Amino acid sequence: MLSSQGTVPRIAVESLTGCAGELLVILENLDKLLPYVRVVSFPFAQSQNDSGAVDITFLEGSVSNPHDLEKLKRIRAKSRWLVAVGNCAVWGCVQKSACSHCKVEDMLKAVYGQDSKIEVLPSTSLDEHVKVDVKLSGCPINATQFLSVTANLLQDHLPYITHKPVCLECKLKENPCVLIEDNLPCLGPVTAAGCGALCPSVGAACYGCWGPSQDAQMDAMAVILQEKGYAIDEVLNRLQSFGAPAKLFERMKFEVKNERV
Amino acid sequence: MLKPVVLPKNAFKLFFQSLKGLGTVYAPVKVSEKSYSFKEVHSPEEIAFEALRTILPPKKFFYPQEETLIRYKNGDFEEVQPEKKFQVIFGVHPCDLASLGILDTIFSSEPADSHYLKRREQSLLVGLSCMPDKHCFCNAMNADTAGSAYDLFLTDTGEEYFIEIRSAKGVELIKSLAEKVSDANPENHEAYKEFWKKREAAFSHGLETENLRSLLDLEWENQIWDEMGKRCLSCGNCTPVCPTCYCFDLVDIAGLNAKEGERVRQWDSCQFVGFAQVNGDFNFRATPADRLKFWYRHKLHGFDDAYGFKTCVGCGRCTESCPAGIDDIVQVVKILQGKKENKHYEP
Ligand code: SF4
Ligand code: SF4
Ligand code: SF4
Ligand code: SF4
Repeated sequence: MLSSQGTVPRIAVESLTGCAGELLVILENLDKLLPYVRVVSFPFAQSQNDSGAVDITFLEGSVSNPHDLEKLKRIRAKSRWLVAVGNCAVWGCVQKSACSHCKVEDMLKAVYGQDSKIEVLPSTSLDEHVKVDVKLSGCPINATQFLSVTANLLQDHLPYITHKPVCLECKLKENPCVLIEDNLPCLGPVTAAGCGALCPSVGAACYGCWGPSQDAQMDAMAVILQEKGYAIDEVLNRLQSFGAPAKLFERMKFEVKNERV
Repeated sequence: MLKPVVLPKNAFKLFFQSLKGLGTVYAPVKVSEKSYSFKEVHSPEEIAFEALRTILPPKKFFYPQEETLIRYKNGDFEEVQPEKKFQVIFGVHPCDLASLGILDTIFSSEPADSHYLKRREQSLLVGLSCMPDKHCFCNAMNADTAGSAYDLFLTDTGEEYFIEIRSAKGVELIKSLAEKVSDANPENHEAYKEFWKKREAAFSHGLETENLRSLLDLEWENQIWDEMGKRCLSCGNCTPVCPTCYCFDLVDIAGLNAKEGERVRQWDSCQFVGFAQVNGDFNFRATPADRLKFWYRHKLHGFDDAYGFKTCVGCGRCTESCPAGIDDIVQVVKILQGKKENKHYEP
């Protein structure tokens, strides 16, 4: 077992700015973990929490204010393995993409009033500040992946998480393609799998909540969606909603043609 | 092999009942406005006889999308065997039968894939004739007749089915229907030939494949690959839908107690960037253009030198399933041959 003290591994489940979706998934699966770990801190679920060193911290949420940043640094310092869980922690999610559209101060005033004293920072993912050992995206995370990541870390192995696209899961389920058949703006080709192609399985377009797939072809996706009649602003908005980093859009340069085979 | 027989269509219900008597029957079913899928059926009414191509090909019955190969516990491991269950796949068209012939060769080459072969053994394949649409080009790929990977093959001659019998399993089934079927007479043979003539005339692709071997080698540096690569989403849809694509990924899923776990295989795609990525972050096929070109070559010229066949059977599934419209093998080959102007793929 992993614990450096030769005792039961100590884990912590913490959050920054997020919706608690990952915390709920972890809570739901906690009984499976309990025989193998000691949960020393999980403020969302228990009242007795210890701030000492831990073997693994699962951390949800993005860094969206100075308090988050301090907390993140504290957590990093006390954790052997830091696992970013959920799109917010891994990519920054909707709050990060909102910050790329407007100034965070303007949002603060619009929501909390002109003279709000709340301190804010433009939202960022964890790895923009500290070293993150494992990134497990999701919105919320997939329980099977979470358990498998934990099982690997308990053995001191870094887990293998693929970032193949949602289309793979969609095709393995043999769904009709909503992008082709219904011309819906499905982002399955550029979104990381893990959800089991939830949205296309019920006839809806994937809106990318899991974050980008490995080497997501944003430029080609934009071309295809434009050919289907979606305006470029709308397309970019959609592609950027869930915190996809700016560098994925650098290649977007060639013009759109309407002619198809 | 028994002589062909004919089954009047009004006796199809009985034929279907005999199939059901053997095991679970799967047949094409309509799943959306434009799509079909092989699914379990309980009565002939559920079958979409008009279906040309299903989203996934019948390979899924022998080589499932995902399966556990090994379970391990306390240092021991157990090989998981395919479920013992007899399956009947009804309504398999010539291209898909040809694809199963190809997969049989590939999966039975040493080291043979026992899971695939076991499932092939415990199944009965019933072929069905079809009328090609604009994306079908099986006849250009030598895959337009029933081949050998079937037990029974039904040709729709109007009022009846002309049934070719290929295997002992097929003979058994036809014997059980002796009351309903009759030996094909000269008139039936005429109707059969008539059907296949009409079908041959219905192909509209205009594809000529004589020079494919050299073409794919000579045009390796053609700019069309880069042009199409720019449109490619790397979504990988072209490979699960292809009846002869067989690549998979293996993943070990460890249990929390460190004492047990399982090894799972799942279909993979050469169109994913991670597919040819190796240690040291080196990638043999780093760009979508590299991967797409590789795939085209693999389908059209990857096996002919070693095995004497091409692994594309001309089913048209990739063409229909590519969101970017770049898996149009017929058009791309024509452009490479200089028979068609490349005005579609320019950036
Ligand atoms: S519906 Fe969406 S996720 Fe599914 S295959 Fe089509 S593009 Fe991919
Ligand atoms: S299909 Fe897309 S939007 Fe829907 S749950 Fe999955 S990743 Fe999220
Ligand atoms: S390459 Fe395309 S047309 Fe050829 S067999 Fe595969 S899916 Fe069918
Ligand atoms: S060729 Fe088409 S189906 Fe294949 S990966 Fe590229 S976009 Fe997807």
